[in-house]
Amino acid sequence: MSPDFLIALTLISNFMLVATSRVNKAIQIVVVQGVLLGLIPLAMGLGKYFHILLVVLAALVVKGWLIPFLLRRAIREVHIQREVDPYIGYTVSLMLCALGTGLSLILAHMLPLKAGTPVVLLVPAALATLFTGFLVLVSRRKALTQVVGYLVLENGIYLFGLLLVEEMPLLVETGILLDLFVGVFVMGIVINHIRNAFDSTDTRHLAELKD
Amino acid sequence: MLDVAWILVAAVCWIGASFLPFFTRVDDRWSQGLGLLGAAFAVVGAVRVLTGGTASQLDFLFWRGAARFEIDALSAAFLLPLHLVAGLGLVYGGEYWPLNLPKGSGRSLRLFYGLLVAAMTLLLVARHGLLFLLAWEIMALSAFILIGTDHENPEVRHASWVYLVCTHTGTAMLTAMVILLAHRSGGLLWVPLQAGNAQALDFWILGLACLGFGFKAGFLPLHFWLPAAHASAPSHVSAILSSVMLKMGIYGILRISGLFPAIPWGFGSALLALGALSAVYGVGNALAQRDYKRLLAYSSIENLGIIGMGVGLGLAGRAGHDPWLVALGFGGAIFHVWNHAIFKSLLFFGAGSILHATGTRDMEALGGLASRMPRTALLLFPAVLAVSALPPFNAFLSEWFLYRGIFASLSRGYPWSAGLALAALAFTGGLAAVAFAKFYGILFLGTSRSPAGEHAHDPTGTMLVPMAILVCLSLGTGLAGVLLLPSLDRVVAVIAPGSASLLARGLNADLRILVGAEALLLGCGFAAYLWWRRSTPSPEALSPPTWDCGYALPVRRAEYTGSSFSEAWAPLLPGLKYKVRRITANFPKPVAFRSEIRDLVGELFLGSRLERMAQRLLRFRSLQPGYLSLYILYVLLALLGAFLWMFLRGRLLG
Repeated sequence: MSPDFLIALTLISNFMLVATSRVNKAIQIVVVQGVLLGLIPLAMGLGKYFHILLVVLAALVVKGWLIPFLLRRAIREVHIQREVDPYIGYTVSLMLCALGTGLSLILAHMLPLKAGTPVVLLVPAALATLFTGFLVLVSRRKALTQVVGYLVLENGIYLFGLLLVEEMPLLVETGILLDLFVGVFVMGIVINHIRNAFDSTDTRHLAELKD
Repeated sequence: MLDVAWILVAAVCWIGASFLPFFTRVDDRWSQGLGLLGAAFAVVGAVRVLTGGTASQLDFLFWRGAARFEIDALSAAFLLPLHLVAGLGLVYGGEYWPLNLPKGSGRSLRLFYGLLVAAMTLLLVARHGLLFLLAWEIMALSAFILIGTDHENPEVRHASWVYLVCTHTGTAMLTAMVILLAHRSGGLLWVPLQAGNAQALDFWILGLACLGFGFKAGFLPLHFWLPAAHASAPSHVSAILSSVMLKMGIYGILRISGLFPAIPWGFGSALLALGALSAVYGVGNALAQRDYKRLLAYSSIENLGIIGMGVGLGLAGRAGHDPWLVALGFGGAIFHVWNHAIFKSLLFFGAGSILHATGTRDMEALGGLASRMPRTALLLFPAVLAVSALPPFNAFLSEWFLYRGIFASLSRGYPWSAGLALAALAFTGGLAAVAFAKFYGILFLGTSRSPAGEHAHDPTGTMLVPMAILVCLSLGTGLAGVLLLPSLDRVVAVIAPGSASLLARGLNADLRILVGAEALLLGCGFAAYLWWRRSTPSPEALSPPTWDCGYALPVRRAEYTGSSFSEAWAPLLPGLKYKVRRITANFPKPVAFRSEIRDLVGELFLGSRLERMAQRLLRFRSLQPGYLSLYILYVLLALLGAFLWMFLRGRLLG
């Protein structure tokens, strides 16, 4: 399996995420995306390095099992409605996502990158995923979908990090994973508190907290 | 090497003392003992340098650059009052603000008190731009937290914020000064500069130093943070802020100007005029205050103005190559720094005792405390005489130096600023006497003006002993000023390199005559007292109620007030406002009268303008609607902006 194929699948998952209207489905997509990204280093033929194998394993466990587990539990406990409830409609989101992906292709072309970058699609896909993450963060109202946006954003960073994967120390990668885990964990607690305080997980209510 | 080690050990002791109270098992006494040990170390080091006169230094590497801790006579001259006041304040504060108040700020008070002292110690020995700024900033921030100790009071919070903004404005100027100085000397190490041809650069460095340090010292237009801050802080903190921290500004000006081989002409005169204006302004405002701690704070502005006059005189002397003027100006300034440290901390300790006993800072609510707090009254009386520069106390001598200097300057043809300074110094002395007659008279004489002061009582020995020590120091310095002349000469030699020791020779006769006269005066006074004690019958037989003259049954409200005392001087006080409704009806309703004093620069001029600016800036609040999504959008926009800039920069700039 070539890495370009996996990256293309990642890009498609971006579009699916933006277009989906169900919270459950958004979580599924983000899990699939996480697993795809986790497999990319293997597809790039980096499986011979032990520390990269460790990172792949950790990424698969955290993104494929731990985070979806936490998110699903949050849904169960907080009784979040199934609807994604966006600020921007699905069609517009889709178009924005397409625009962002197009822009990323141009941007990536203009970036002053090191010669001999391994995979052609890697940088544009990273930028597009970053942009999608931002889009989801900005345009979705619920705290849980914002967590999803944050995860996608982090996936973009991870993709970018793959450029340097051979030099990247184990510690940095595990640091990012830990950061992600703690982020989701804290967001879970925050979601609970928003629910307790406002009887809803709509982040609009947080505006009442400003002084 | 040895003396600098004393000082560094002292700083370490203070840091230790500041953290000790956080160990709950440890008694407050341990931390006090450690702090006092530090103070003792530093005093030993400073006295050794002041009497021996040899500087000692410690070179090391800081951030791969040469750095140096050095103690010379100038540092020692400031370390001595710092550790004296800090040590006494530590003892005083042990009872004034107990460790385990329910409010729980006792620990933070001790922590930042120790840090403040340690930071000032390091600041005084650092000879490296960055280390100096670092210590300066720790000092400023510790002082901010100390001022805000009683932060539940909105007035205190306001005072501490104003202080914070002002001190950081000053720090910004000092940072610029340090950068320019590094540019001039080629390194961050502060060593005497070579004569250069960059006149403009020298002028900028000195100008920025004057502005930045002047902010700390409270020279005239930059003084407005000071009264509220000093009135709001706990009293032993006010004592250290007023009697030591303000002097760091003076130290900075002296230190930086001492690095230059020559001082631009006009600099000294400007500082002399500024000092004169500050002194008159400070004392005029002190006269009008109702809040006795604010009165003391304004009196600090006055005294810093007097010190500024001395510095200006010395700088003018350096520019004009006149060693006698240099010696009198700088010597007088340093001597007044010591004297002010002694009597102002005594006054603030006394004010703290009153505040501790009565809980109010309003003079008009108190009165007749002499009978309820006799020991405090007795200990404060010398301070009041000292601050009014009356013999035989210490400030008299330092002002004597300045008078001699100004007359010398007049006779040598630097007329305008010296003439102004002479008038200002005389006027200040007179007004200070009036202001402190009010302070002492209204607080201690008469009878109580409200229930607040009726149950006042003297504090215990822990608070009285530091005050008694300061009284002895004040009197001792006043009588034994001659002995200090060689030390002052050593300090002057550091500030103005290459000046001969003139004070010891030139003022010896002066001071001997003065001390003789003072001793005679004291002797006569004591004899008169004994004679009066013997000739009058015991006081119990003749003790009518106070203010009984003319009134059969005196009412509290009929008593003479502080405001009426200073009312005669109202034309001097542009910030004084009366609020009274005119009586027009035939059968008028009750009418109220109010007067208030507001600071001309801080409250009347700056306050209203800042208020308007804050109103205008409120518009930007709409950028903060509280929606998380919008904030993330800002991040996204910033990111895109950064990308765009990256591309466009290449296109635009080629």
